[in-house]
Amino acid sequence: MNESDISVLLVDDDEIILECIGAYLEDEGFTMHYSDSGEAALKSIAAINPVVCITDMRLSGMNGEAFICKAHAICPNTGYLLHTGMAYSPSNELLSIGMTAADVFQKPMHEFSTLTDRIKAIARAGRMCNGT
Amino acid sequence: MRFIRLTIIFSILITVLASYGHGDGSVVDGNHTIVRLGLEQDMPLAFINKNGNPSGIMAAAIFFAILLTFITTTLVLRVTVRRRTVELEQEIEVHKQTAKSLEKSEKELRNILVVNEDLKKSLSGILDTLPSIIARIDRDGRVDLVNRRFEQFSGVSAAAARGMLLESLIPHFTPQLQQVSEVIDRRTPVSCERIQQRSGKELSFFSLQIYPLNEEESGMAVIRIDDITEHVRIEEMIYRTEKMTMIGGLAAGMAHEINNPLGAIMQHSQNIERRVSPSISANVKAAEEVGVSLNLVRAYMEKREIFQFISHIRTAGERASTIISNMLHYSRRSESRTETARLSDVLNRVLELAATDYDMKKSYDFRRIELVRDFAADMPPVNMTVLEMEQVFLIILKNSAQAMTGAGHGRTPCITLRTRTDNGMAAIDIEDNGPGMDEATRLRIFEPFFSTREVGEGSGLGLSVAYAIVTKGHHGTIEAWSQQGDGCRFTIRIPMYGRA
Repeated sequence: MNESDISVLLVDDDEIILECIGAYLEDEGFTMHYSDSGEAALKSIAAINPVVCITDMRLSGMNGEAFICKAHAICPNTGYLLHTGMAYSPSNELLSIGMTAADVFQKPMHEFSTLTDRIKAIARAGRMCNGT
Repeated sequence: MRFIRLTIIFSILITVLASYGHGDGSVVDGNHTIVRLGLEQDMPLAFINKNGNPSGIMAAAIFFAILLTFITTTLVLRVTVRRRTVELEQEIEVHKQTAKSLEKSEKELRNILVVNEDLKKSLSGILDTLPSIIARIDRDGRVDLVNRRFEQFSGVSAAAARGMLLESLIPHFTPQLQQVSEVIDRRTPVSCERIQQRSGKELSFFSLQIYPLNEEESGMAVIRIDDITEHVRIEEMIYRTEKMTMIGGLAAGMAHEINNPLGAIMQHSQNIERRVSPSISANVKAAEEVGVSLNLVRAYMEKREIFQFISHIRTAGERASTIISNMLHYSRRSESRTETARLSDVLNRVLELAATDYDMKKSYDFRRIELVRDFAADMPPVNMTVLEMEQVFLIILKNSAQAMTGAGHGRTPCITLRTRTDNGMAAIDIEDNGPGMDEATRLRIFEPFFSTREVGEGSGLGLSVAYAIVTKGHHGTIEAWSQQGDGCRFTIRIPMYGRA
């Protein structure tokens, strides 16, 4: 599997964060999609059907947690990652859709490699699941 | 009475007359006597013999007259005595009544006296029980009455205080006491709050009230003084707690908001480094498109130390980020759960926190203190509420740092942190080479509200909080060892594997 085959949807209402995380992941070779709100992302996610969706916790509209729950109903095979500035452990809803503490990233991210490693791991697991 | 008197006179007269004739030789003519007395008309001369002396009949008559007189007198006396007896009895009765009512009044009076005495006793009992310092003074400020608390406070007995000037007994309150005559004249009380008094290192607060005595033109005033130090400290503590809660909330919000721009700074510096890296094909391609060699660009950047700058941006960002995450970690007080942690990690984080504590920087730059970490290498992780234990260590470190402030003892200020296992307990020593403390201070340091610092500078709660966390929260012990002028060591012991 080539990195470019891995599509990533990044949801954050801070343009600079979108740009800097996006630039890094683009350089890693992932196919990037961007959205500045949970509401907008819910509209586009079905068409993208990303391998991984990374969302900020504190969004201007619905929060990251609510977004993941709704998005999971649309794209259940997507791996969801939560990016947050708070001390946070996944809620029961998020645990029930298979998220773990490893899917929560603290802001600011000192080292991007943990994020890329996680994206690649999800992609591998998904491929095994799909049997492709 | 008059009748008795008449009877007596009459009988005397008759007796005199009867004896007249028996003279001793100087015989007088009886008739002549009677005539001389002018009684010849009333007295039949037959009673007189020819010698002019009274005859036998005369003597009998006289006897009867006497008898009659006696009987009459007796009768009259008896009647009189009876009447007099009744009168006396009545009088006695009246006296008895009087005595009875007197006795009753006396009893009542005695009761009143007893009640009065009781009242006096209970009033002075109340006055003595009150924690207030109370004195009654006249317009000139002379003491007339004080309670026991006053005696204790001034060190002067009530008897000795009487008549003395109040100012001379409690000179600290002289400025406030100037208002006494005004209070008496205007008949309106005056109240002075938060009067500061310093005795040695300790600062106390008092309130003083002057009340005009509520009696017409008494010209007296009552002074009431209360020690409100504890109230003031509690107030300060409440303000402080509220302030801390607010600051905690603000800090958490601010830290969260700062994380995004900080993240952008660190991540973009990482992106910059990567975008000049030849290992990413997109970079090589873009360089070719604009006609530059990526290697030359890198060489230039190295020559002008641009990579170093970028790396410094990242390092600075990381430092800021550590400060913020420590602060967030510390302000998250609600999350107090027990976990297993390495004491060395906890102590290192606390030292980082201490170095960034603004309060501490204000009074003492923590970075100027030499820190010796003597952590036992084989120390297993310890079960504890990390946030609480961090608070304990921070409190002790702050105390040490503050104690070493301005203590020009010529030595480099140094704090040693030691971890060791001690009879199945995890022991932590925090030792400084500061001025130490005297025994009196050492014995009281874990008491709430005990502070050697000024009110407002310290709540006096720090070490009492540490004590509660260690003993109640962790079933451990906390002890302080110190000698005046020779440093201080706190030893904390907590059960290694949770609450014993």
